[in-house]
Amino acid sequence: MRTRFDEQLEQLHVELITMGALCEEAITAAMQSLFARDRSLVKVVLEKDGEIDRKEREIETLCMRLLLQQQPVAQDLRTISSALKMISDMERIGDQAADIVEITENMHDKNFEIDSSVHIRSMSTEAIKMVTQSVDSFVKKDLELAHDVIAYDDVVDQLFTTIRSELIALMAKGGADGEVYVDLLMIAKYLERVADHATNIAEWVEYSITGVHGEMDGGEA
Amino acid sequence: MTKRIFRTIFYVSMLVLLASALILMVFVGEYNQKSQQKTLQTDAVYIMHALQEEGISYLETLPKGAERITWIASDGTVLYDSEVEATQLENHADREEVVEAQKNGTGNSARYSSTLAEKTYYYAVKMQDNSVLRVSITSLSMLSMFFTILQPLAIIIAIALILAGFLASKTSKSIIKPLENIDLEHPEQSDVYDELSPFLRRIAAQQRMIGNQIHEQQYRQREFQTITENMQEGLLVLDTKGEVLSCNKGALRIFGMEHIAEKENVYNFNRSEAFRHCIQEALAGRHAESVMEQEGRTYHLLANPVMEDALVAGVVLLVFDHTEKADREKLRREFTANVSHELKTPLTSISGFAEIMKNGMVKSEDIPRFATNIYDEAQRLISMVQDIIQLSRLDEAEETAQKTDVDIANIVEDVAKRLESFAQQHEVTLQTTCDKAIVRGIPHVLEEMFYNLCDNAIRYNKPNGTVQVEVQNTANEICVSVSDTGMGIPYAEQDRVFERFYRVSRSRSKEIDGTGLGLSIVKHGAQLHHATVEMKSEVEQGTTITLHFPKEV
Repeated sequence: MRTRFDEQLEQLHVELITMGALCEEAITAAMQSLFARDRSLVKVVLEKDGEIDRKEREIETLCMRLLLQQQPVAQDLRTISSALKMISDMERIGDQAADIVEITENMHDKNFEIDSSVHIRSMSTEAIKMVTQSVDSFVKKDLELAHDVIAYDDVVDQLFTTIRSELIALMAKGGADGEVYVDLLMIAKYLERVADHATNIAEWVEYSITGVHGEMDGGEA
Repeated sequence: MTKRIFRTIFYVSMLVLLASALILMVFVGEYNQKSQQKTLQTDAVYIMHALQEEGISYLETLPKGAERITWIASDGTVLYDSEVEATQLENHADREEVVEAQKNGTGNSARYSSTLAEKTYYYAVKMQDNSVLRVSITSLSMLSMFFTILQPLAIIIAIALILAGFLASKTSKSIIKPLENIDLEHPEQSDVYDELSPFLRRIAAQQRMIGNQIHEQQYRQREFQTITENMQEGLLVLDTKGEVLSCNKGALRIFGMEHIAEKENVYNFNRSEAFRHCIQEALAGRHAESVMEQEGRTYHLLANPVMEDALVAGVVLLVFDHTEKADREKLRREFTANVSHELKTPLTSISGFAEIMKNGMVKSEDIPRFATNIYDEAQRLISMVQDIIQLSRLDEAEETAQKTDVDIANIVEDVAKRLESFAQQHEVTLQTTCDKAIVRGIPHVLEEMFYNLCDNAIRYNKPNGTVQVEVQNTANEICVSVSDTGMGIPYAEQDRVFERFYRVSRSRSKEIDGTGLGLSIVKHGAQLHHATVEMKSEVEQGTTITLHFPKEV
């Protein structure tokens, strides 16, 4: 027989998956609006961001109710507390996606060509991959995948540094509109933040499975 | 069973016991009383005679016995009593038996003592001097008699109880034993009471029925499993909470799952927007379809709610791999767009030239030039339409073609001969070295393929270039290679030249006529013959295209 508690935990699981999927879709659509110059995607991303915010509140309420009414212990308590932390990271990813489309919306008005030497495409691919994998690691309770995501953060950080120097070089050369370069740099920074949030999610997945949180328990701060 | 039999035996024996005790008591009591009364009467007569002879002294000599003797004078005063002092007794004149004796000579009556435990029987006789002699005897009443036999009765009941228990257990055991020995697997073969045989027959029939049903169910189950496990499409059955009740191998493969846990939630399979939308719609009781992309493949999702009494009882989700169909559709769309575009270009020129001529804006000496232009464009149109017809024939040929043994060398020689003058026009030398090579194929398709290859090799050659056609017959395969010394194809575009209407950098090949369909025809024809096409090309050096025909084992 299934208790109400189990049912609520399952509901929490499904809600988290949905929210994670929304984050993936939001950040993917945001980057698509930049690369494909698709203005219609701006609205899509903003709508998704709104939905992500609603989901965060829903899940928060659900977690609180679970904590107060069921007083869970051990694994269940970890699941719920890490869910509470994860949703704030997910919500931040949604916000970053919204921030990115705000920039790309301005860029759409200008005639620009993203210099193919800039690694912004690969950075976007990697950051989105990290978000996808962090959500995957939660869905499948895959500790190894979570570790991969945490380790992969360095790659994206490295890409950000690369893009930064590439953009500086381009600006020094003059040429195209300097504003575009600044915009691209900001987008790169947002992507770097998105990757950080994906890392956080993976860390909370690790915590919910093992009970050890990398940063809290002796890892680098 | 034992309990019930015991109860029956016990109750029956109890009833019999009590009834017989009661009847016995009544009869014996009655008889006893009667004989007592008789003795009393005779005794009274004896005592009366003796009293008349000897007077009161006789009474005093009588021993004290069971009988009480009272002598009552005619006025009722007690003269003598064998048990109590006569003076202490009150007047007895109104006693029933005394009154009766005074009247009739004898009288009798019976009275119960105050406790009802004893019954006293009186008999009175009237003597000659009008006094009355009364004799009485006291015996136990029926009730007290009953109480006296109660104790032995209780003992007998106890014995009956034990005996009944013993008998009951023995009887029930002997009744049950054959029942316990019934073989329920084969009830008809067991030998028990005749009364049970209808039941046993019924059980046997039901067992057969159940067996058949189980067998049929298992068969259905296997059939269903074979179908679902072997189909390429993914099949998921969900309950109302979105938990997976059943899923086939196809679904696991498509969603990249290795195994599923019990009550796995469907969102663990996939969480894309299209997927979620389908599930939610179906859970709300609506049919839903959508297209989902995953890892470069296109999937078509079909979700249907399972309705029971107008309520959603679950969801059936089918996942089709749509990649190839989607790709083909894309190709077809591109082809249609290209065809219309390619056909429109010469037609526009023709119509332009004709319009100018119609308006009379052309001098009569210019008419031949214009006519030539119109003719050239029309020729281009014709050759293009021919190529398109050829291609569509190849599309159809896949099903209908009749293959025969064809000597490739012959065909290549023929093609070379036909192209001789064309090569001369382009100042290109055409050389052929042919082994005899028999391939199973469709002659006109093969001819068309080689013609196109050679035609291209000449067309895109440089003046004074050469075209080398070679047919090699090796142990495993037959190779036909066509090499030229022409402009070559850039590496990046080598894959694309086989696409319909694709032409390497249009600006460069504009001055060279061509439909962009030649290599497409080659590729298609090669597929029909299970041959592979290999291309080596270097810009400004030349191109070699080799067809490998595998020899059938």
